[in-house]
Amino acid sequence: MSHRTSQVMLTATTFLLGLLVMAQFHTHRLTSKARAFASSADQSVILSSLVEANASLRAEIEALEAQLDRYQDAGSSGMLETLVEELNRIKIVNGLVQVSGPGIKVRISGPLNALNVQDLVNELRNAGAEAIALNGERLVLWSAIAVDDQGWLTVDGVRTASPYLFHAIGDGETIETALLRSGGLIAVLEHSYNDLQVTINRSDKLVLPVHRHPPELLYIQFKE
Amino acid sequence: MKANLFDQRHALSWLLVAVVFGLLLSLQLNSSPSAGTVTMVDGRSGTEVTVHRLENEQEALKARIGQLRQDLANYQRQTAATTELLEEISAELDYHRAIAGLMSAQGPGIEVTLDDSQRQTIPADQDPSAYIVHEYDLRDVVNLLWLAGTEGIAINKERVVGVTSIYCVGSTVMVNDTRLSPPYVVHAIGDPDRLEDFVQNPSYLAKVKEKARRHGLIFQFHRSSSIKLPAYKGSFALRYAQPGQ
Repeated sequence: MSHRTSQVMLTATTFLLGLLVMAQFHTHRLTSKARAFASSADQSVILSSLVEANASLRAEIEALEAQLDRYQDAGSSGMLETLVEELNRIKIVNGLVQVSGPGIKVRISGPLNALNVQDLVNELRNAGAEAIALNGERLVLWSAIAVDDQGWLTVDGVRTASPYLFHAIGDGETIETALLRSGGLIAVLEHSYNDLQVTINRSDKLVLPVHRHPPELLYIQFKE
Repeated sequence: MKANLFDQRHALSWLLVAVVFGLLLSLQLNSSPSAGTVTMVDGRSGTEVTVHRLENEQEALKARIGQLRQDLANYQRQTAATTELLEEISAELDYHRAIAGLMSAQGPGIEVTLDDSQRQTIPADQDPSAYIVHEYDLRDVVNLLWLAGTEGIAINKERVVGVTSIYCVGSTVMVNDTRLSPPYVVHAIGDPDRLEDFVQNPSYLAKVKEKARRHGLIFQFHRSSSIKLPAYKGSFALRYAQPGQ
């Protein structure tokens, strides 16, 4: 091999080496790229959800401060009313009182699985639903959606089946928009199941039943 | 003329050109994922800086809410002790606040950890998203723990409550509108034997377990005699729901 040719070979080799090093780095970063740094579009969504969340935290602080003021002004005489009001509010969140209000009815007929139903409940909560029932069963924090050993879908141990009728109290327009947005959950489900039928109706007044399975507390100890 | 290109003097130049070209190409390709964001001097985008500021603010607001709720509860108990009726309602309120997740809690239970796969290479025919933890994986774990009769849950110190949604923006998981990053540690209080049985049972968490087996997704759990859950410090804004008919 002449000296000249070996120089050419060296040059080519060096170039290839550069490419290989690059490829290597590229592969090493793949896993972290799958969990990519949020794109600027994602960051805007995170930003706006933080702005919204902080606004509602500020509103909560105002409400709590007002409550504290009321206690201090009224003493035990005004306390009864305030306590009952607060108790009712928390009972609604816990699903341990019947609840009414405007909202939305979503009827889905199709072969949904437990994960689909979990996703739907999560989507309703995410869109601000304040109370949810599925086929007449009030869904609460400790509700579980599963499949029993005979293949039935169960909500808190109670068998249920298509059509799935969700009643959600909250801002009907916001919830409907969230469900129906392009690339949203309904679109994804319709893509997965050809025979899915979805009907959405807003309602001025829904009445949701009391949750029937209060939690059994055997292991947990609470502290302020 | 052509022969001159490859004489000894030029060879060194070619070598340099090749190396520089290779390096440049490498830099170019490697930097492409962040293209499209405005990068600041410290390497973070303007939006990222604002997100951090808002997150700090959120933390301060939550701390304030926690303090106010504690003051209220103390005041409520002190004042309620003066009459029997008030005391009864106050006790009922304490119970409902507790099960709603407004009090911190402690007890035996289980710790479940999920993390992105640590594999360095992903075969070309595989979907990279199968190597990371998704929000629906976390939802499935939480749902299973409730099914197993757990009495309280937190994910990365965010208490799961009735209004909690677990969602994602891109690949960032949000719980209680708070950004979480992997590893995701789920703490649950309950009967450790039963919780472990359910988590282990092959008919549950099938997708998570398959990703752990095939793609190296990290899925671990262990029982614990002392799980601690923080109180929920977000809001329960109810604007539409009324008690009764």
